Amino acid sequence: MRARQTLFFLSPWLLTLAAFYLFPVVYSLVLSLLNFNPLNPSATTWAGLANYSRAFQDPLLCKAAVNTLYFVVGTVPVTTVLALVLAILLNRSLPGQTFFRAGFFIPTLVSMVVISLVFKQLYAQDGILNQALSLLGIPGRAWLLDERTAFPGIMLMDIWSAIGYYMLLFLAGLQAIPRELYEAASIDGSSKLSQIFQITLPHLRPVALVVIVVNTIRSFQVFIEVFVMTRGGPLNSTLTVVYDLYERAFYRFEMGYASAIAYLLFAVIFLVSLIQARFLRLGQPVGG
Amino acid sequence: MMRKYAFLLILPILLSCAPRDKRQKIVFWQFWEMPVIQPQIEAFEKAHPQYKVEVEQLTWQNGFDKIVAAFASGQVPDLCELGSTWAPQLASEGVLLEVTDGVRPIKETYLMWGPVTVGDKIYGFPWVVGTRALFYNKTLFAKAGLDSTKPPEIWPELLNDAKKIKALGKDLYGYGENAGERHILYKKYLPFAWSNLGSVLSPDSKKAVLNSPENKEALEFLVSLLPYAMIERQDALDQAFKQGKIGLLVSGAWLLRTIPQDAPDLHYGVVLIPKPDKDKGIHASFLGGEMLVIPQKAKNFEGALELAKFLIQEDNAGALAKAVKTVQPATREAPKDPYFSQDPYQKVFLEQARTAVHPPTHPKWVVMQEVLNDALEQAFYKKKTPGQALDEANARIDSLLVAP
Repeated sequence: MRARQTLFFLSPWLLTLAAFYLFPVVYSLVLSLLNFNPLNPSATTWAGLANYSRAFQDPLLCKAAVNTLYFVVGTVPVTTVLALVLAILLNRSLPGQTFFRAGFFIPTLVSMVVISLVFKQLYAQDGILNQALSLLGIPGRAWLLDERTAFPGIMLMDIWSAIGYYMLLFLAGLQAIPRELYEAASIDGSSKLSQIFQITLPHLRPVALVVIVVNTIRSFQVFIEVFVMTRGGPLNSTLTVVYDLYERAFYRFEMGYASAIAYLLFAVIFLVSLIQARFLRLGQPVGG
Repeated sequence: MMRKYAFLLILPILLSCAPRDKRQKIVFWQFWEMPVIQPQIEAFEKAHPQYKVEVEQLTWQNGFDKIVAAFASGQVPDLCELGSTWAPQLASEGVLLEVTDGVRPIKETYLMWGPVTVGDKIYGFPWVVGTRALFYNKTLFAKAGLDSTKPPEIWPELLNDAKKIKALGKDLYGYGENAGERHILYKKYLPFAWSNLGSVLSPDSKKAVLNSPENKEALEFLVSLLPYAMIERQDALDQAFKQGKIGLLVSGAWLLRTIPQDAPDLHYGVVLIPKPDKDKGIHASFLGGEMLVIPQKAKNFEGALELAKFLIQEDNAGALAKAVKTVQPATREAPKDPYFSQDPYQKVFLEQARTAVHPPTHPKWVVMQEVLNDALEQAFYKKKTPGQALDEANARIDSLLVAP
């Protein structure tokens, strides 16, 4: 009886989960095995694994995959380290501590679309960045129109916008570390720096795992920035996997192929997350 | 016990919602703001009292995604507005109602059948057209010692004027060239290729002719303009033109709407896009616009047909164009309304639309367009010469044409 009641009260959530999450997931797995054009669903044909094998021979997707990897490798470590450093700094009682904490966190509250639009103006030929540079006598450029600077520009923006949230997670982790450990260490004559390495970092491992895994997954799925700022250009230098699959699905109407790409991306993210969990010893106690 | 019958309480409400309207419903999806379209719908309902039109306004951001979803699920409107870029794909999938016989009497009176024509079959109606023309800044012309009453008519004049204006200063540009995004460059290049009588596909659409001398010459000319150009996205170029930083810019009639608001003091003119030489080529431009189509699964064909024919009438399409300023009616003859013959800018756009060209209607055009775009970027960013880039793209399009 109790179980039934529980189920009843959970049903709104369970039903929406089934309708808007589980069903699409299964449906797109089926789609990935079909040649499906959304404009003409009656002309659907069976493709088997052809969509998957095609993905491995697609030079544009290869370029997108390399770009995405570049994005992940370029942003995740920097964001993690900077967020950690900021958290450690802001965990002390500094004047204006709240102001800084709020300041670093605010970008998290702003929609990525808005941030992208603002940075698009910032990076423009006659944007604020170039105006500031010209005051220093440095010649500017159209940052998003140069294949060498477009993607790094987007990465920099991503780091700036993401850092506050991960800083907050680290701060929570820091506050959970018992004070006694630091007191005992100081009595034993341990330096501040060695306290960070011997006490702080080991205790932050579980939080770091969350930060790194979540941020990696999010970075593999980078889309909005590209969609708003560059649409994959110039010279496909900012083309990412999710943006590519969006175009396949909604510009070229290759829904089946796009679904196959989505599932391949899922497999990659799943593998990377597993490796990260193993590496950061998921579930093991601190010091274990 | 009472609770079981509680639903009876809302029964009267449900009943009062039941349809009493005997008129047939026409579901119409379109992109214009309601104040623009509403008067026409009211006029239609007055003229055809048996119909009731249910208008839904789509947004430019996600309207097309919504149309795709509608076709995928089969929950389609009766009549749907469709941008000319998208129409060929739906038409070639055979999911639109064929209207070939119905439009025969009006075929000669309208422009832009290309996007809805597959072979000899027609799958929709041209409603309004939009094209690009050459905007020029008269103040910068005068500053550069050029005659501001004589805007460039041919390519050498265009290049020369751009050079002279660029020489005025570091922050000033002779020309504005769009770049940086995918799916954009070809719209900027093709007008020059078409002006030089080049094209992407052979007349029978069986072969690529992208590496023709005409096309190579056009790309070389466009690349020769780049040193004097501001290279940016279109919105940034439009902005810079309004700020008086760009001398010559190919842009759309949307500027006619925004310049009076954003830069009322700007001294500017609009002319046809220059042709290669005095006795060579045409003043081509990019022809786009809005089509009206009826999905094959629509519930009310007859009503949708009536509504489409009503909306594309010269007076109605003209009234819409006049209200929004960014488009022109798709009729071949200029509308009788003096607004179109007297407004110096609208006059140019109407004339430009008559020599404007629509990109080839081919089921694989989206992919071809990507190939062309890649080639143009390679040439713009000096990775390849215009000749090499077009040769390679030509081969790639040829292989697309033979692929199943």
